[in-house]
This record gives sequence, structure tokens and C-alpha cells, in this order.
Amino acid sequence: MRSSMSPTVPQTPGQQAAGEPSLTYQPHVDICDTGGGLSIRADIPGANTDSIDVAFEDGVLAVHAKVRAREQPGRVLRQEYGIGDYRRSFRLGDGFDGAQITAEYRQGVLSIEVPRLAAVRPRKVAVRATHG
Amino acid sequence: MQTFRAGFALPLEELRDEVDRLWTSLTAAPPLHGWSTEQPTGRFPAVTMRDCDDAVVIEAELPGLDVGDIDIAATADELTLKGTRPAAVAQTGNGEAATQEPANVTWLRRERGTGAFERRLSLPVAVDASRVEARLVDGVLTVTCPKAPESQPRRVAVRAAS
Repeated sequence: MRSSMSPTVPQTPGQQAAGEPSLTYQPHVDICDTGGGLSIRADIPGANTDSIDVAFEDGVLAVHAKVRAREQPGRVLRQEYGIGDYRRSFRLGDGFDGAQITAEYRQGVLSIEVPRLAAVRPRKVAVRATHG
Repeated sequence: MQTFRAGFALPLEELRDEVDRLWTSLTAAPPLHGWSTEQPTGRFPAVTMRDCDDAVVIEAELPGLDVGDIDIAATADELTLKGTRPAAVAQTGNGEAATQEPANVTWLRRERGTGAFERRLSLPVAVDASRVEARLVDGVLTVTCPKAPESQPRRVAVRAAS
């Protein structure tokens, strides 16, 4: 599995439209292999369920979340992070069932479950005892 | 008798600590302040602070935290954000979060920090601590601290001399 570059580093200056964030960030992720598939958690605070795009194509899982610029009135006294879209992709390879991928967004965390194809799932083989 | 000079072992101890740190970083979730050799400096969470006319507004990104996980305390000149982000727990096949990590799980990436945090922010002007309000929406915490009456801008009427 590969993903490019280190997380949360502003990547490319994106399209600068009026009121749109101009930076793209790589979210921090946790990925674990549960045997039946991959379980992915990504921190994407401030996104909206409707603006999150999860795509799986040619063995690459791509996550893109559009983040609308938040209303920020007043004079800035301290700014320790920027607001922008989140984008990250992972090369998962073959053996995953793209049609069965599920994603859920809650409390700023995107959870993606990527099940393996039934054919490649590890199967427990029962050992029969043969007497004689 | 031959003795080692004092301080000889220091580089080795440093090396051992470094190896310990690297090893931990392979096997555990990262702490919220990241894997740095520095002591946690209380820089989590990152915040933005803005001065609106009648309030100081502080915003922090706290994904994965529930309202009950965050403790906010305010005085006239200081705001404290305190809480814990629980360790990531692998989910079981049916989507339910397991209370204990299943044994057959392989971690491929662990970048999301976990653990306790506490951050104290000194406020630029006196605020009315009793009217501080906080909202948590989609992992973004917004704390509105209304300014104390004495620190609000006062409008001065200019009288025209007749």
C-alpha cells in the first residue's frame, strides 16, 4: 500500500475561486487490516457528508472532501491551521470488492470499510480427524 | 583499575532512548502532539482566535471527539481546553466498534493521534466567563467568549458644535 507524501502538508495550491479554500490537505489516517477487508479512519474535520467523495478505481481508493470556507468574522489574532479541501489516495491493489465499500462520516471522522472479495478472504479450514 | 569517564554512557543512553522512541512509534498510535523529541508543549489542539467586536471566538479542530470528551473552562483572561481522544479501536465486521482490539488485526497506518490534551489560551481582553458558549459541529469546536462590558468598544457620539 502506498500513499504519496506526508500527511497534513499543504499539497498543491488549488483553484482559487472566490470564497473557496485554496489549499489541499492530506488527512491523518488509521488503516487496519481486519482479515475480511480494510478499515480506514481519516480525520477530516469541518467537511460535509454531501461534499465527501470516495472513489475506488483500478485498485486505488481516492478520498476527496470539499471544505467550504467557514465564516470567519473579526480580526485574526492567532491562526495555527489552514482550512482547505482534503485529498488522499491509497493504492490497495487487487482483491477488494469495490461495489461493497461503505463510508460513514461522523464527528469529523470519515470511516471507510473496504471488504475483500469473497474469493480472496482468508478462510478458516477445519481439520477433520480421521480415525483408522 | 580502569574506570569509564563520567558521561561516557550518555550517548549510549540517548541512543537507547531514540531506539525506544522509534520502536514505540512503530507499534503504538502516535500521541496527539506528534512524535517529536520535544516535550508535549500543549500545542494540541491547533486553534484560530479571532477578535470580533463583542466577543473573542476560538476555533479548534477536534475530530473524533464527542461533546462529553471535551472539558472547557474559562476565566476572565484564560480559556482551557481539556480532553482525551480515545485510542483508535478496530471495528468488527458488522461495523460495531469493538471494545477490545481483535487479535487478528494488522495495523497498516496509525497517524491519528490519541491520548489526553490540555491547552491553555490566554485571552487578549477580559471576557465574561459566565456567558462563554461552545459548539461542536463535524469535529470543529467553536468557543465564543463574550467580552466583558469594560473591554467592549464604546461608541463615542460626536456632537456638532452649533
